[in-house]
Amino acid sequence: MGLSLSCRRFIVMALPVVCSLWLPAYAGATRSIEHALGEARFEHSPERIVTLHQGATDSALALGLAPVGVVESWLERPMYRYLRDSLPTGVRYLGLETQPDLEAVAGLAPDLIVGVRYRHADVYPLLSRIAPTVMAETAHDFEAMLELMGEATGRERQAEVQLEAWRERVQDFRCRVSARLGDAWPQSVSVVSFRGDHVRLYYDGFARRILDQLGFRRPAGQEGAGWGVKLVSRERLPAMEADAIFVFMRDDPAVAELHREWTAHPLWQSLGAVKRGRVYLVDPVVWSMGAGILAANRLLDELYGHYGLQDTSDRRDPDRADSPSGQDSDGPERDLQVLDRRGDEWPHGEDETC
Amino acid sequence: MLTSPAAKLVGLLLTAALALATGLASLALGATEIAPAVLLEAFVAPDPSSTQHLILWTERLPRAAIAALVGASLAVAGALMQTLTRNALAAPSILGINAGAMCFVVLGSTFFAIRSPLGLAWVAFLGALVAALLVALLGRERRGGISPVRVVLAGVAVTALFVSLAQGLLIIDQERFESLLLWLAGSVAGRELEMMTPLLPFFLFAAGVCLFLVRQLNLLVLEEEVVRGLGQRTGRVKLLAGTAIIMLAGGAVALAGMIGFVGLIVPHMVRALFGRDHRWVLPGCTLLGAGLLLGADTLARFVIPPQEVPVGVMTALLGTPFFLHLARRRSLAP
Repeated sequence: MGLSLSCRRFIVMALPVVCSLWLPAYAGATRSIEHALGEARFEHSPERIVTLHQGATDSALALGLAPVGVVESWLERPMYRYLRDSLPTGVRYLGLETQPDLEAVAGLAPDLIVGVRYRHADVYPLLSRIAPTVMAETAHDFEAMLELMGEATGRERQAEVQLEAWRERVQDFRCRVSARLGDAWPQSVSVVSFRGDHVRLYYDGFARRILDQLGFRRPAGQEGAGWGVKLVSRERLPAMEADAIFVFMRDDPAVAELHREWTAHPLWQSLGAVKRGRVYLVDPVVWSMGAGILAANRLLDELYGHYGLQDTSDRRDPDRADSPSGQDSDGPERDLQVLDRRGDEWPHGEDETC
Repeated sequence: MLTSPAAKLVGLLLTAALALATGLASLALGATEIAPAVLLEAFVAPDPSSTQHLILWTERLPRAAIAALVGASLAVAGALMQTLTRNALAAPSILGINAGAMCFVVLGSTFFAIRSPLGLAWVAFLGALVAALLVALLGRERRGGISPVRVVLAGVAVTALFVSLAQGLLIIDQERFESLLLWLAGSVAGRELEMMTPLLPFFLFAAGVCLFLVRQLNLLVLEEEVVRGLGQRTGRVKLLAGTAIIMLAGGAVALAGMIGFVGLIVPHMVRALFGRDHRWVLPGCTLLGAGLLLGADTLARFVIPPQEVPVGVMTALLGTPFFLHLARRRSLAP
């Protein structure tokens, strides 16, 4: 009895393996992709994609893909407003990023699963039995995530176009902000998040890495390893000292109360950035949770706004990011700016000539 | 153990000196160190433009005051509970009182938007009372009386119940309920003095009860039959002492969340020094409890700098070995 059972189990388990060895002969070339936890093989371009990370969902939509299953957002549930309209209507929500519903994942019969090492390393063996699974090394590097997903879905070119546009915008911002601020550039900036019972000061992360790319500096004492530090006592307020402070927080009474208490404190009032009026309240979704290229572009939009810089990049509308020509239909004014920008000869360093 | 009154007085003065020393350490040490001279200056001639004076007045002083009050309250509540239940393992954290208060505070603040210190205190009292009644009910023996082992088991069960209720909220929505961690872990950091002042009448009431009942409490330690024979009406004494326990433990939780083991270990230390006379035990618990929590809170700033450890974690680290030592003893009498 026991023997026959294990025999049967062997056949059931071996069947997909045998099939998968046999199938490629018909499906043509097999692509294999190296990722953080191994290698994934694809017989064809995946069409039923499941994203288990916020940044993977953002990247999928940036590539013009329509995921069949996504994990819930941390705010604006079930999905961030900036992504909501681009998601297909029948998309299945698979629970939290920290504990996705694996049965629901399997039920969707996906042909690509995208996760992130620090969240999904433990379930990777299960996931990779459900479908070919690629894992990003870190959630902080949206460029690597976009490249990985482009590679896995055969949209390398779209990914490269997006990244090229991003690099151009980064150059544009650096040029404009240094022209604008003169000797005050480069600025040192702190990234701070108010929570219900403590305040986080970020040394690393999505926003911090973008700020690094843009040429912002980290204040002294914020070079430590790891994501950053939790501040529980207001006597640590001086650790935030910088030329400017970016603050984000959720809309929540406990958070608002803590924010009120901390910002009323004399030590907050004596921070240089506070005295000079350089504390910018920014969107938590864009600065910390979106974690993909669409969020990164929105973050840059906010920065152009806060520094009063003219944003003349020919960035495509994020909602139609897959259209390759970069046509904008936001109205004649915007089109004009785009035309102006194209007429430039790209001389660097001088005012308003970026 | 100190036997003569003079020796006990010296012992009490030394305990007071310890509380004072840990209090000063709590004021001076942290992310910014404040030199003794600056400390003195800040008290004699406060200068609002000095960062160190600011830190002292707005952060360190409220924090030290709350730590001292919470430590003293938990220790005295523990001593009262051990006397009342004649059980060496009794303490607000062991018998579910802290967990009940914490759970009610958490539910009240998340679902009923209770934010005022007084509102949170009343909710905490209610939670402490519910937990105490539940434990008394579960710990009851079939033929009347309360069994020392059953009551501890009931306390463990009730603690687990209330803690898991609070943690369940965290699982539902970790982002939204993140501030619950503070109540679960226990912390005296980042509190304002305004949180403490509205609660002072309750702590004063409890102190008054202790003063008033000192003699009766000494009798409660004796066998129930002996006490009755001496013509004591134990019902009223127990009710008053119970009210004091609820106010001390509930008030402590409303201020600082769940801080375990102070209420368990301090009364034992004090009895080892001063014997069982409540005239010495209660002041001893007040001073040593305050000193212990002040010391634990100061240490908590240096375990993994620049991060701070919740003080509840520190007291658990100190208290667990002590709890095991007590549990290994044969007799459960205090």
